[in-house]
Amino acid sequence: MRRSLPATIVVLVGLLLLVNFVVINPLLAGAAREVLRLVVIVAAAAALAGVVALVLRHGTDLWQGRGDRLGSAFLLVGLGAMLMAGFYPGSTGAADPAVRWLVAALLAPIVAALFALLFLFTLAAMRRGATLRSRQVTVMLAAAAVVVVLLLPLGGPIDQGLASGASWALSVPIGGVFRGMLIGVAIATAIQAARILLAVDGADD
Amino acid sequence: MPDLGRLLGDLVALLGEQVAASSLRLGPVASVVLLGVVLVLLSLVARPPTRWTLRDVGRLAAVGRAMALAAESGGAAAFSLGTAGVARATSALDRLQTLAALPILGIVARAAARSGVPLRVTTNDPVAQHMADRVLDEAHHRTETLERRDRSSAEYLGDGRATAASAAMVRVGSPAATFVAGSLAEEGILLLDASARRSASTSFGTADASQATSVLLTGEGTMVGPELFQAASDLRGRSDRTGVTAANRIVLAAAATVVLGSLAAWLAGIDVSAALVGS
Repeated sequence: MRRSLPATIVVLVGLLLLVNFVVINPLLAGAAREVLRLVVIVAAAAALAGVVALVLRHGTDLWQGRGDRLGSAFLLVGLGAMLMAGFYPGSTGAADPAVRWLVAALLAPIVAALFALLFLFTLAAMRRGATLRSRQVTVMLAAAAVVVVLLLPLGGPIDQGLASGASWALSVPIGGVFRGMLIGVAIATAIQAARILLAVDGADD
Repeated sequence: MPDLGRLLGDLVALLGEQVAASSLRLGPVASVVLLGVVLVLLSLVARPPTRWTLRDVGRLAAVGRAMALAAESGGAAAFSLGTAGVARATSALDRLQTLAALPILGIVARAAARSGVPLRVTTNDPVAQHMADRVLDEAHHRTETLERRDRSSAEYLGDGRATAASAAMVRVGSPAATFVAGSLAEEGILLLDASARRSASTSFGTADASQATSVLLTGEGTMVGPELFQAASDLRGRSDRTGVTAANRIVLAAAATVVLGSLAAWLAGIDVSAALVGS
């Protein structure tokens, strides 16, 4: 019974949005719009609370000398710099040139550098996957090797054959796997949404 | 002066006005079909136990053992809820994966609570962090281990998909067991590989088709595609698992009978139905 109120709210809001999707009615549309506005307000408040929690945690770590102090210091300095750029007197907020510079000159290159590691991490993960010796990984690595061979730029008539083979592999077996997975995910998502609507509890163990 | 009868009359009139002011967005047939599908999902498919599969998806059945080993070694456990969150600007499919990961977190949290293993849950969404915190509360409440609640935490790492990956890459310490469940994108391999690098036991899952390879390459236990949604439902009590096993065998036997009977009728003209059902 402790969960009755949240479960009731979930069911009512879910039914309201579902009925609003099916039926065109000004009253229902207004109610659904207000509910969605409330959701946005809740999300904004949660984001603010998240920032406060982040500052408190890293400030406490820094103050008490525990955890990754250098990382905490960087985070707090970065947060302060972004807040100053966005809130100094006369600032235009997120569109301010200072904020744009921080994003374009600092954040974007850092993220790009991180994603540049993808290739190296993929190779390392392949090595790790091979040591696991699972059947799934073996099949996947074998398929990847076949695709790599098919995509080799050899030139001549062999190249055309390989290219058509690669195209067939991508559109038929690999495409089929992806489509099957997407269909399965769509069905599972519908079931999950229904479980949330029903407020069905998680699994026992 | 308004009386009860007038109030009821006004309410009925209001309902009538609203019905008159409404129209079906999709037309009568499509609306009935849509609501029928929802009704079927609610009444049949949405029941918790998965009926037709029985496999240790994501090696979640071994969570208790992993936590026992973690307790013996004095280690901790880590759980990442992926990078989509609940209130972030991503697609509904991604957000539902975070919600699907919460029951899995509940299973892990209860095992950790029983074993006295500190569990650190990380996410890049404050709403998801709050929900994870609530799951930890519930786990310690259900296992009557409230005195250990302070050792586990749900932490908001900051916004952005890259944040979760970079936090995993610079993480201090080596968790004995690591779990990642939820939506992943390009950063998936960074997050998963960094999480698996120093961990003795791993279980990873995502429903993002593009990241299936990352999960398969890095995790010992894997939940790929719909398995992420399926995993929590598969972890039912022993009697349910026995029932699922029996149901699976019956379905297989029935399918084999149909196929073999059809082949016999087609190739040799033998009608096995007469022998089986007497007709």
